[in-house]
Amino acid sequence: MIEFERVSRRFGDQDALRNLNLTLESGEMAFLTGHSGAGKSTLLRLLLLLDRPSSGEIRVNGESTSSIRSRKVPRYRRRFGVVFQDHRLLFDRSVHDNVALPLVMAGFSPKDTARRVRAALDKVGLLSHERANPAVLSGGEQQRVGIARAVVARPEFLIADEPTGNLDPKLSTEIMTLFEAFNQVGVTVLVATHDLPLISRLRHRIITLQEGRLAGAHTQ
Amino acid sequence: MSAASEQTREEWGRFAAWRAQHRAAATSSWQKLVSRLVATSMVWLVVAISLALPSVLLLTLDNLRPLAPDIARPAQVSVLLDGQLDFAQAESLQRQITAWTSVEDVALVGRDEALASFGEQTGLSGLLTSLDRNPLPHTLLVSPRAPLAGDALSQLIEDLNALPSVDRALADNQWMARLNQILVAGERWGLALGGAMALGAILALANTVYLAIAARREEILVVSLIGGSPAFIRRPFLYTGLYFGAGGGLLAGVMLWALTLWVAGPINALFLLYDSPGQLYGPGWRYPLVLIGLGAGLGWLASWIASARYFSRMKVH
Repeated sequence: MIEFERVSRRFGDQDALRNLNLTLESGEMAFLTGHSGAGKSTLLRLLLLLDRPSSGEIRVNGESTSSIRSRKVPRYRRRFGVVFQDHRLLFDRSVHDNVALPLVMAGFSPKDTARRVRAALDKVGLLSHERANPAVLSGGEQQRVGIARAVVARPEFLIADEPTGNLDPKLSTEIMTLFEAFNQVGVTVLVATHDLPLISRLRHRIITLQEGRLAGAHTQ
Repeated sequence: MSAASEQTREEWGRFAAWRAQHRAAATSSWQKLVSRLVATSMVWLVVAISLALPSVLLLTLDNLRPLAPDIARPAQVSVLLDGQLDFAQAESLQRQITAWTSVEDVALVGRDEALASFGEQTGLSGLLTSLDRNPLPHTLLVSPRAPLAGDALSQLIEDLNALPSVDRALADNQWMARLNQILVAGERWGLALGGAMALGAILALANTVYLAIAARREEILVVSLIGGSPAFIRRPFLYTGLYFGAGGGLLAGVMLWALTLWVAGPINALFLLYDSPGQLYGPGWRYPLVLIGLGAGLGWLASWIASARYFSRMKVH
Protein backbone atom coordinates (compact mmCIF):
# COMPACT_ATOMS: atom_id res chain seq x y z
CA MET A 1 0.00 0.00 0.00
CA ILE A 2 1.24 3.45 -0.94
CA GLU A 3 -0.02 6.48 1.00
CA PHE A 4 0.63 10.16 0.40
CA GLU A 5 -0.46 12.25 3.36
CA ARG A 6 -0.58 16.05 3.01
CA VAL A 7 2.46 15.91 0.73
CA SER A 8 3.79 19.19 -0.66
CA ARG A 9 6.83 19.85 -2.77
CA ARG A 10 7.92 23.42 -3.40
CA PHE A 11 10.53 24.53 -5.90
CA GLY A 12 11.36 28.13 -5.03
CA ASP A 13 7.96 29.88 -4.96
CA GLN A 14 6.38 27.23 -7.20
CA ASP A 15 4.28 24.44 -5.74
CA ALA A 16 4.70 21.19 -7.68
CA LEU A 17 2.48 19.30 -5.23
CA ARG A 18 0.14 20.87 -2.69
CA ASN A 19 -1.21 18.99 0.29
CA LEU A 20 -1.70 15.83 -1.71
CA ASN A 21 -3.60 12.97 -0.08
CA LEU A 22 -3.58 9.73 -2.03
CA THR A 23 -3.84 6.04 -1.25
CA LEU A 24 -3.02 3.19 -3.57
CA GLU A 25 -4.16 -0.14 -2.16
CA SER A 26 -2.03 -3.27 -2.43
CA GLY A 27 -2.90 -5.17 -5.59
CA GLU A 28 -4.59 -2.13 -7.09
CA MET A 29 -3.94 -0.79 -10.57
CA ALA A 30 -4.37 2.94 -11.16
CA PHE A 31 -3.60 5.54 -13.77
CA LEU A 32 -2.07 8.86 -12.86
CA THR A 33 -2.95 11.59 -15.30
CA GLY A 34 -2.98 15.33 -15.72
CA HIS A 35 -1.45 18.01 -17.94
CA SER A 36 2.30 18.37 -18.08
CA GLY A 37 3.36 20.28 -15.02
CA ALA A 38 0.44 19.00 -13.00
CA GLY A 39 2.83 17.11 -10.71
CA LYS A 40 2.90 13.55 -12.12
CA SER A 41 6.68 13.42 -12.43
CA THR A 42 7.18 15.05 -9.03
CA LEU A 43 4.91 12.45 -7.46
CA LEU A 44 6.84 9.56 -9.03
CA ARG A 45 10.19 11.12 -8.12
CA LEU A 46 9.08 11.47 -4.49
CA LEU A 47 7.86 7.88 -4.45
CA LEU A 48 11.23 6.58 -5.75
CA LEU A 49 13.10 8.85 -3.30
CA LEU A 50 14.76 10.73 -6.14
CA ASP A 51 13.45 13.75 -4.27
CA ARG A 52 12.05 14.43 -0.82
CA PRO A 53 8.80 16.22 0.04
CA SER A 54 8.90 19.75 1.48
CA SER A 55 6.23 18.65 3.94
CA GLY A 56 3.90 15.74 4.53
CA GLU A 57 4.61 12.04 4.61
CA ILE A 58 4.79 9.16 2.13
CA ARG A 59 4.25 5.68 3.55
CA VAL A 60 4.87 2.38 1.78
CA ASN A 61 3.16 -0.57 3.46
CA GLY A 62 2.69 1.64 6.48
CA GLU A 63 6.37 2.53 6.74
CA SER A 64 7.35 6.16 6.43
CA THR A 65 9.90 6.86 3.70
CA SER A 66 11.24 9.94 5.43
CA SER A 67 13.26 7.75 7.78
CA ILE A 68 15.05 5.94 4.94
CA ARG A 69 18.68 7.08 4.92
CA SER A 70 20.47 7.39 1.60
CA ARG A 71 22.41 4.16 2.26
CA LYS A 72 19.13 2.27 2.34
CA VAL A 73 17.67 3.94 -0.75
CA PRO A 74 18.95 1.36 -3.31
CA ARG A 75 17.35 -1.48 -1.33
CA TYR A 76 14.10 0.51 -1.12
CA ARG A 77 14.11 1.15 -4.88
CA ARG A 78 14.42 -2.56 -5.59
CA ARG A 79 10.88 -2.98 -4.27
CA PHE A 80 9.73 -1.06 -7.33
CA GLY A 81 9.86 -2.05 -10.95
CA VAL A 82 10.16 1.11 -13.02
CA VAL A 83 9.24 1.54 -16.69
CA PHE A 84 10.35 4.74 -18.45
CA GLN A 85 8.91 6.52 -21.46
CA ASP A 86 12.22 6.20 -23.31
CA HIS A 87 12.71 2.67 -21.84
CA ARG A 88 16.35 3.52 -20.88
CA LEU A 89 17.89 0.29 -22.09
CA LEU A 90 21.66 -0.07 -22.21
CA PHE A 91 22.81 -0.61 -25.77
CA ASP A 92 26.24 -1.92 -24.82
CA ARG A 93 24.77 -5.28 -23.81
CA SER A 94 22.25 -7.85 -24.97
CA VAL A 95 18.52 -7.96 -24.21
CA HIS A 96 19.24 -10.74 -21.74
CA ASP A 97 21.86 -8.71 -19.88
CA ASN A 98 19.57 -5.67 -19.75
CA VAL A 99 16.77 -7.66 -18.20
CA ALA A 100 19.20 -9.44 -15.86
CA LEU A 101 20.52 -6.18 -14.37
CA PRO A 102 18.16 -5.99 -11.34
CA LEU A 103 18.88 -9.65 -10.53
CA VAL A 104 22.65 -9.20 -10.80
CA MET A 105 22.38 -6.20 -8.46
CA ALA A 106 20.31 -8.18 -6.00
CA GLY A 107 22.86 -10.99 -6.07
CA PHE A 108 20.98 -13.84 -7.72
CA SER A 109 22.96 -16.87 -8.89
CA PRO A 110 23.67 -17.10 -12.65
CA LYS A 111 21.38 -20.11 -12.92
CA ASP A 112 18.51 -18.38 -11.15
CA THR A 113 19.11 -15.22 -13.14
CA ALA A 114 18.99 -16.99 -16.50
CA ARG A 115 15.78 -18.80 -15.55
CA ARG A 116 14.01 -15.65 -14.40
CA VAL A 117 15.18 -13.56 -17.33
CA ARG A 118 13.82 -16.13 -19.74
CA ALA A 119 10.53 -16.24 -17.86
CA ALA A 120 10.22 -12.44 -17.95
CA LEU A 121 11.10 -12.25 -21.64
CA ASP A 122 8.61 -15.01 -22.36
CA LYS A 123 5.87 -13.00 -20.63
CA VAL A 124 6.52 -9.97 -22.84
CA GLY A 125 6.84 -12.20 -25.92
CA LEU A 126 10.50 -11.55 -26.65
CA LEU A 127 12.17 -14.81 -25.65
CA SER A 128 13.47 -15.30 -29.19
CA HIS A 129 15.33 -11.98 -28.99
CA GLU A 130 17.24 -12.86 -25.82
CA ARG A 131 20.67 -12.60 -27.45
CA ALA A 132 19.88 -9.56 -29.62
CA ASN A 133 21.15 -6.07 -28.96
CA PRO A 134 18.19 -3.91 -27.90
CA ALA A 135 19.21 -1.28 -30.48
CA VAL A 136 18.00 -3.51 -33.32
CA LEU A 137 14.50 -3.88 -31.80
CA SER A 138 11.47 -1.75 -32.67
CA GLY A 139 10.19 0.91 -30.25
CA GLY A 140 7.41 -1.37 -28.99
CA GLU A 141 9.82 -4.25 -28.50
CA GLN A 142 12.28 -2.03 -26.65
CA GLN A 143 9.51 -0.93 -24.32
CA ARG A 144 8.61 -4.56 -23.67
CA VAL A 145 12.25 -5.29 -22.81
CA GLY A 146 12.02 -2.36 -20.39
CA ILE A 147 8.93 -3.93 -18.82
CA ALA A 148 10.66 -7.31 -18.57
CA ARG A 149 13.51 -5.59 -16.73
CA ALA A 150 11.01 -3.88 -14.41
CA VAL A 151 9.24 -7.10 -13.43
CA VAL A 152 12.07 -9.64 -13.53
CA ALA A 153 12.91 -9.30 -9.84
CA ARG A 154 9.18 -9.64 -8.98
CA PRO A 155 8.79 -6.24 -7.31
CA GLU A 156 5.83 -5.37 -5.08
CA PHE A 157 5.11 -2.25 -7.13
CA LEU A 158 5.27 -1.53 -10.82
CA ILE A 159 5.63 2.15 -11.64
CA ALA A 160 5.47 3.36 -15.23
CA ASP A 161 6.12 6.90 -16.43
CA GLU A 162 4.43 7.55 -19.79
CA PRO A 163 5.21 4.04 -20.99
CA THR A 164 3.22 4.45 -24.19
CA GLY A 165 4.31 8.00 -24.96
CA ASN A 166 6.28 6.98 -28.04
CA LEU A 167 4.04 4.16 -29.27
CA ASP A 168 1.09 3.93 -31.67
CA PRO A 169 -2.39 3.04 -30.29
CA LYS A 170 -2.15 -0.66 -31.09
CA LEU A 171 1.23 -1.09 -29.35
CA SER A 172 0.02 1.09 -26.48
CA THR A 173 -2.91 -1.24 -25.91
CA GLU A 174 -0.55 -4.22 -25.91
CA ILE A 175 1.63 -2.58 -23.28
CA MET A 176 -1.35 -1.72 -21.05
CA THR A 177 -2.60 -5.29 -21.39
CA LEU A 178 0.79 -6.46 -20.14
CA PHE A 179 0.49 -4.21 -17.10
CA GLU A 180 -2.97 -5.59 -16.41
CA ALA A 181 -1.57 -9.11 -16.61
CA PHE A 182 1.04 -8.29 -13.97
CA ASN A 183 -1.62 -6.62 -11.84
CA GLN A 184 -3.72 -9.77 -12.00
CA VAL A 185 -0.92 -11.76 -10.36
CA GLY A 186 -0.87 -9.34 -7.45
CA VAL A 187 1.53 -6.55 -8.39
CA THR A 188 0.42 -3.04 -7.43
CA VAL A 189 0.59 -0.96 -10.61
CA LEU A 190 0.72 2.83 -11.04
CA VAL A 191 0.92 4.14 -14.59
CA ALA A 192 1.44 7.84 -15.26
CA THR A 193 0.05 8.69 -18.68
CA HIS A 194 -1.94 11.28 -20.54
CA ASP A 195 -3.31 8.81 -23.08
CA LEU A 196 -6.90 9.44 -21.90
CA PRO A 197 -8.65 7.65 -24.81
CA LEU A 198 -6.74 4.49 -24.01
CA ILE A 199 -7.17 4.46 -20.24
CA SER A 200 -10.83 5.42 -20.37
CA ARG A 201 -11.44 2.07 -22.07
CA LEU A 202 -9.73 0.21 -19.22
CA ARG A 203 -11.57 -0.32 -15.97
CA HIS A 204 -9.15 1.08 -13.41
CA ARG A 205 -9.02 4.02 -11.10
CA ILE A 206 -7.89 7.27 -12.74
CA ILE A 207 -6.11 9.75 -10.51
CA THR A 208 -6.04 13.20 -12.06
CA LEU A 209 -3.64 15.84 -10.88
CA GLN A 210 -4.27 19.51 -11.49
CA GLU A 211 -1.75 22.13 -10.43
CA GLY A 212 -0.33 19.82 -7.80
CA ARG A 213 -3.71 18.86 -6.35
CA LEU A 214 -6.04 15.92 -6.75
CA ALA A 215 -8.68 16.96 -9.30
CA GLY A 216 -10.84 13.88 -8.96
CA ALA A 217 -10.35 10.26 -8.18
CA HIS A 218 -13.07 8.07 -9.53
CA THR A 219 -13.68 4.59 -10.87
CA GLN A 220 -15.21 4.33 -14.30
CA MET B 1 9.34 -12.00 -3.52
CA SER B 2 8.30 -15.58 -2.86
CA ALA B 3 9.72 -17.62 -0.01
CA ALA B 4 11.17 -20.13 -2.43
CA SER B 5 13.18 -17.57 -4.34
CA GLU B 6 14.38 -16.03 -1.09
CA GLN B 7 15.66 -19.42 -0.12
CA THR B 8 17.50 -19.92 -3.43
CA ARG B 9 19.19 -16.62 -2.83
CA GLU B 10 20.23 -17.64 0.64
CA GLU B 11 21.70 -20.88 -0.70
CA TRP B 12 23.61 -19.01 -3.36
CA GLY B 13 24.94 -16.88 -0.54
CA ARG B 14 25.97 -13.30 -0.13
CA PHE B 15 29.65 -14.03 -0.61
CA ALA B 16 29.17 -15.94 -3.83
CA ALA B 17 26.98 -13.12 -5.14
CA TRP B 18 29.55 -10.55 -4.15
CA ARG B 19 32.28 -12.56 -5.85
CA ALA B 20 30.20 -12.98 -8.99
CA GLN B 21 29.54 -9.23 -9.11
CA HIS B 22 33.25 -8.56 -8.76
CA ARG B 23 34.11 -11.05 -11.47
CA ALA B 24 31.55 -9.49 -13.80
CA ALA B 25 32.81 -5.96 -13.09
CA ALA B 26 36.45 -7.03 -13.51
CA THR B 27 35.73 -8.74 -16.83
CA SER B 28 33.60 -6.00 -18.35
CA SER B 29 36.09 -3.29 -17.34
CA TRP B 30 38.94 -5.25 -18.86
CA GLN B 31 37.04 -5.75 -22.10
CA LYS B 32 36.28 -2.03 -22.28
CA LEU B 33 39.97 -1.16 -21.80
CA VAL B 34 41.15 -3.64 -24.40
CA SER B 35 38.59 -2.43 -26.90
CA ARG B 36 40.23 1.03 -26.74
CA LEU B 37 43.81 -0.12 -26.75
CA VAL B 38 45.44 3.07 -28.03
CA ALA B 39 43.80 5.30 -25.41
CA THR B 40 44.50 2.70 -22.73
CA SER B 41 48.17 2.44 -23.74
CA MET B 42 48.55 6.20 -23.41
CA VAL B 43 47.23 6.09 -19.86
CA TRP B 44 49.59 3.20 -19.09
CA LEU B 45 52.47 5.22 -20.51
CA VAL B 46 51.64 8.28 -18.38
CA VAL B 47 51.50 6.17 -15.23
CA ALA B 48 54.63 4.24 -16.22
CA ILE B 49 56.70 7.40 -16.72
CA SER B 50 55.48 8.87 -13.42
CA LEU B 51 56.55 5.73 -11.61
CA ALA B 52 59.71 4.96 -13.59
CA LEU B 53 61.49 8.30 -13.11
CA PRO B 54 61.74 8.19 -9.31
CA SER B 55 62.44 4.45 -9.51
CA VAL B 56 65.45 5.06 -11.75
CA LEU B 57 66.78 7.52 -9.21
CA LEU B 58 66.29 5.10 -6.31
CA LEU B 59 67.83 2.27 -8.33
CA THR B 60 70.86 4.44 -9.08
CA LEU B 61 71.27 5.14 -5.37
CA ASP B 62 70.99 1.42 -4.67
CA ASN B 63 73.90 0.95 -7.05
CA LEU B 64 76.01 3.67 -5.45
CA ARG B 65 75.48 2.52 -1.88
CA PRO B 66 77.99 -0.42 -1.99
CA LEU B 67 80.68 2.07 -3.02
CA ALA B 68 80.55 3.44 0.51
CA PRO B 69 80.75 0.11 2.34
CA ASP B 70 82.15 1.19 5.69
CA ILE B 71 79.94 4.08 6.45
CA ALA B 72 79.22 2.60 9.84
CA ARG B 73 82.90 2.79 10.73
CA PRO B 74 83.88 6.22 11.95
CA ALA B 75 86.37 8.04 9.79
CA GLN B 76 90.00 7.33 10.64
CA VAL B 77 92.39 10.23 10.85
CA SER B 78 95.94 9.82 9.52
CA VAL B 79 98.38 12.04 11.37
CA LEU B 80 101.67 12.58 9.52
CA LEU B 81 104.26 13.60 12.10
CA ASP B 82 107.07 16.03 11.65
CA GLY B 83 109.99 14.33 9.81
CA GLN B 84 112.44 15.38 12.53
CA LEU B 85 110.59 13.41 15.24
CA ASP B 86 112.25 10.17 16.38
CA PHE B 87 110.33 6.99 17.27
CA ALA B 88 110.37 7.55 21.05
CA GLN B 89 108.93 11.04 20.64
CA ALA B 90 106.28 9.61 18.35
CA GLU B 91 105.39 7.01 21.01
CA SER B 92 105.00 9.67 23.66
CA LEU B 93 102.76 11.65 21.34
CA GLN B 94 100.72 8.48 20.72
CA ARG B 95 100.17 8.11 24.51
CA GLN B 96 99.26 11.79 24.78
CA ILE B 97 96.59 11.61 22.07
CA THR B 98 95.20 8.29 23.32
CA ALA B 99 94.22 10.12 26.50
CA TRP B 100 91.93 12.52 24.62
CA THR B 101 88.24 11.94 25.30
CA SER B 102 87.29 12.16 21.65
CA VAL B 103 89.78 9.41 20.71
CA GLU B 104 89.12 5.69 20.81
CA ASP B 105 92.51 4.35 19.81
CA VAL B 106 95.80 5.45 18.31
CA ALA B 107 98.07 3.18 16.29
CA LEU B 108 101.66 4.12 15.52
CA VAL B 109 103.10 3.19 12.15
CA GLY B 110 106.85 3.67 12.19
CA ARG B 111 108.53 5.13 9.13
CA ASP B 112 110.50 1.92 8.44
CA GLU B 113 107.39 -0.21 8.72
CA ALA B 114 105.53 2.17 6.41
CA LEU B 115 108.32 2.10 3.84
CA ALA B 116 108.45 -1.69 3.89
CA SER B 117 104.69 -2.11 3.39
CA PHE B 118 104.71 0.58 0.70
CA GLY B 119 107.50 -1.34 -1.07
CA GLU B 120 105.52 -4.57 -0.77
CA GLN B 121 102.27 -3.10 -2.03
CA THR B 122 103.82 -1.34 -4.99
CA GLY B 123 106.55 -3.86 -5.86
CA LEU B 124 109.09 -1.06 -5.71
CA SER B 125 111.12 -2.53 -2.79
CA GLY B 126 114.28 -2.74 -4.89
CA LEU B 127 114.06 0.87 -5.92
CA LEU B 128 113.30 2.02 -2.37
CA THR B 129 116.41 0.36 -0.91
CA SER B 130 118.46 2.50 -3.24
CA LEU B 131 117.18 5.67 -1.50
CA ASP B 132 119.82 7.14 0.84
CA ARG B 133 117.17 7.99 3.43
CA ASN B 134 113.55 7.06 4.23
CA PRO B 135 111.39 9.95 2.98
CA LEU B 136 108.35 8.85 5.01
CA PRO B 137 107.53 10.31 8.45
CA HIS B 138 106.18 8.34 11.43
CA THR B 139 102.39 8.20 11.22
CA LEU B 140 99.67 7.94 13.83
CA LEU B 141 96.33 6.39 12.86
CA VAL B 142 93.76 8.00 15.13
CA SER B 143 90.35 6.31 15.47
CA PRO B 144 87.78 8.75 16.85
CA ARG B 145 85.38 7.58 19.51
CA ALA B 146 82.24 6.57 17.60
CA PRO B 147 79.97 8.15 16.68
CA LEU B 148 81.97 11.14 15.67
CA ALA B 149 81.02 12.92 12.50
CA GLY B 150 80.73 16.33 10.94
CA ASP B 151 81.72 19.17 13.25
CA ALA B 152 83.20 16.95 15.97
CA LEU B 153 85.44 15.24 13.44
CA SER B 154 86.54 18.58 12.00
CA GLN B 155 87.31 19.76 15.55
CA LEU B 156 89.46 16.68 16.21
CA ILE B 157 91.40 17.22 12.96
CA GLU B 158 91.90 20.87 13.89
CA ASP B 159 93.19 19.91 17.37
CA LEU B 160 95.60 17.40 15.86
CA ASN B 161 96.86 19.90 13.32
CA ALA B 162 97.43 22.38 16.15
CA LEU B 163 100.00 20.06 17.83
CA PRO B 164 103.53 21.40 17.17
CA SER B 165 105.03 18.05 16.11
CA VAL B 166 102.24 17.25 13.65
CA ASP B 167 102.90 17.95 10.02
CA ARG B 168 99.42 17.22 8.72
CA ALA B 169 96.28 15.43 9.93
CA LEU B 170 93.73 14.24 7.37
CA ALA B 171 90.59 12.15 7.53
CA ASP B 172 91.24 9.46 4.98
CA ASN B 173 87.65 8.49 4.49
CA GLN B 174 85.97 11.82 4.75
CA TRP B 175 84.84 11.42 1.14
CA MET B 176 82.89 8.36 2.25
CA ALA B 177 81.04 10.38 4.83
CA ARG B 178 80.33 12.95 2.13
CA LEU B 179 79.14 10.29 -0.28
CA ASN B 180 76.92 8.88 2.43
CA GLN B 181 75.34 12.26 3.00
CA ILE B 182 74.87 12.67 -0.76
CA LEU B 183 73.16 9.27 -0.87
CA VAL B 184 70.87 10.17 2.02
CA ALA B 185 70.04 13.50 0.38
CA GLY B 186 69.57 11.78 -2.97
CA GLU B 187 67.25 9.22 -1.45
CA ARG B 188 65.10 11.90 0.12
CA TRP B 189 65.10 13.79 -3.14
CA GLY B 190 64.02 10.61 -4.93
CA LEU B 191 61.24 9.99 -2.41
CA ALA B 192 60.01 13.58 -2.69
CA LEU B 193 60.12 13.36 -6.47
CA GLY B 194 58.36 9.99 -6.26
CA GLY B 195 55.67 11.44 -4.02
CA ALA B 196 55.10 14.34 -6.39
CA MET B 197 54.99 12.08 -9.44
CA ALA B 198 52.69 9.64 -7.68
CA LEU B 199 50.37 12.52 -6.88
CA GLY B 200 50.54 13.55 -10.52
CA ALA B 201 49.71 9.99 -11.55
CA ILE B 202 46.74 9.93 -9.17
CA LEU B 203 45.41 13.19 -10.58
CA ALA B 204 45.88 12.05 -14.18
CA LEU B 205 44.21 8.72 -13.39
CA ALA B 206 41.39 10.32 -11.43
CA ASN B 207 40.68 12.62 -14.34
CA THR B 208 40.74 9.78 -16.86
CA VAL B 209 38.43 7.66 -14.74
CA TYR B 210 36.16 10.66 -14.14
CA LEU B 211 35.78 11.06 -17.90
CA ALA B 212 35.10 7.33 -18.23
CA ILE B 213 32.39 7.63 -15.58
CA ALA B 214 30.91 10.74 -17.17
CA ALA B 215 30.78 8.93 -20.52
CA ARG B 216 28.50 6.33 -18.93
CA ARG B 217 26.19 8.83 -17.27
CA GLU B 218 23.01 7.31 -18.73
CA GLU B 219 23.90 3.84 -17.52
CA ILE B 220 24.69 5.12 -14.03
CA LEU B 221 21.35 6.97 -13.84
CA VAL B 222 19.39 3.90 -14.94
CA VAL B 223 21.21 1.54 -12.60
CA SER B 224 20.75 3.99 -9.74
CA LEU B 225 17.04 4.34 -10.54
CA ILE B 226 16.40 0.62 -10.49
CA GLY B 227 18.16 0.19 -7.18
CA GLY B 228 21.87 -0.25 -7.89
CA SER B 229 23.93 0.70 -4.85
CA PRO B 230 26.83 3.15 -5.20
CA ALA B 231 29.19 0.24 -4.51
CA PHE B 232 27.68 -1.68 -7.42
CA ILE B 233 27.93 1.33 -9.73
CA ARG B 234 31.44 2.17 -8.62
CA ARG B 235 32.86 -1.35 -8.91
CA PRO B 236 33.61 -1.47 -12.66
CA PHE B 237 35.34 1.90 -12.45
CA LEU B 238 37.48 0.77 -9.54
CA TYR B 239 38.65 -2.09 -11.73
CA THR B 240 39.29 0.34 -14.58
CA GLY B 241 41.54 2.38 -12.28
CA LEU B 242 43.19 -0.77 -10.97
CA TYR B 243 44.03 -1.91 -14.49
CA PHE B 244 45.30 1.53 -15.49
CA GLY B 245 47.57 1.65 -12.43
CA ALA B 246 48.79 -1.94 -12.44
CA GLY B 247 49.42 -1.84 -16.19
CA GLY B 248 51.38 1.40 -15.76
CA GLY B 249 53.38 -0.18 -12.94
CA LEU B 250 54.17 -3.22 -15.06
CA LEU B 251 55.25 -0.98 -17.94
CA ALA B 252 57.43 1.03 -15.53
CA GLY B 253 59.09 -2.23 -14.45
CA VAL B 254 59.74 -3.13 -18.08
CA MET B 255 61.20 0.34 -18.68
CA LEU B 256 63.47 -0.06 -15.69
CA TRP B 257 64.71 -3.40 -16.96
CA ALA B 258 65.24 -2.06 -20.45
CA LEU B 259 67.22 0.90 -19.13
CA THR B 260 69.33 -1.38 -16.95
CA LEU B 261 70.16 -3.68 -19.85
CA TRP B 262 70.96 -0.70 -22.03
CA VAL B 263 73.42 0.94 -19.62
CA ALA B 264 74.79 -2.32 -18.14
CA GLY B 265 77.48 -2.69 -20.83
CA PRO B 266 79.25 0.66 -20.35
CA ILE B 267 78.73 0.71 -16.58
CA ASN B 268 80.18 -2.76 -16.06
CA ALA B 269 83.09 -1.81 -18.35
CA LEU B 270 83.62 1.24 -16.14
CA PHE B 271 83.69 -0.98 -13.03
CA LEU B 272 86.34 -3.10 -14.75
CA LEU B 273 88.42 -0.04 -15.60
CA TYR B 274 88.42 0.82 -11.89
CA ASP B 275 89.45 -2.76 -11.10
CA SER B 276 86.25 -3.03 -9.12
CA PRO B 277 84.51 -6.38 -8.90
CA GLY B 278 81.26 -4.36 -8.79
CA GLN B 279 78.39 -5.11 -11.12
CA LEU B 280 75.34 -3.08 -12.01
CA TYR B 281 72.33 -4.10 -9.94
CA GLY B 282 69.23 -4.62 -12.02
CA PRO B 283 65.72 -3.86 -10.72
CA GLY B 284 65.37 -7.59 -9.97
CA TRP B 285 61.85 -8.79 -9.30
CA ARG B 286 61.38 -6.54 -6.29
CA TYR B 287 61.17 -3.26 -8.19
CA PRO B 288 58.59 -4.43 -10.78
CA LEU B 289 56.55 -6.10 -8.07
CA VAL B 290 56.48 -2.97 -5.91
CA LEU B 291 55.73 -0.85 -8.99
CA ILE B 292 52.78 -3.01 -10.01
CA GLY B 293 51.43 -3.03 -6.46
CA LEU B 294 51.95 0.69 -6.06
CA GLY B 295 50.36 1.39 -9.46
CA ALA B 296 47.36 -0.79 -8.66
CA GLY B 297 46.91 0.93 -5.31
CA LEU B 298 47.19 4.40 -6.83
CA GLY B 299 44.75 3.45 -9.60
CA TRP B 300 42.21 2.11 -7.12
CA LEU B 301 42.55 5.22 -4.97
CA ALA B 302 42.25 7.53 -7.98
CA SER B 303 39.06 5.80 -9.14
CA TRP B 304 37.64 6.02 -5.66
CA ILE B 305 38.29 9.76 -5.60
CA ALA B 306 36.86 10.21 -9.10
CA SER B 307 33.69 8.23 -8.42
CA ALA B 308 33.10 9.91 -5.07
CA ARG B 309 33.42 13.30 -6.76
CA TYR B 310 31.10 12.27 -9.59
CA PHE B 311 28.49 10.71 -7.32
CA SER B 312 28.36 13.74 -5.06
CA ARG B 313 27.87 15.97 -8.09
CA MET B 314 25.23 13.68 -9.60
CA LYS B 315 23.60 13.08 -6.22
CA VAL B 316 23.69 9.32 -6.76
CA HIS B 317 22.41 7.73 -3.57
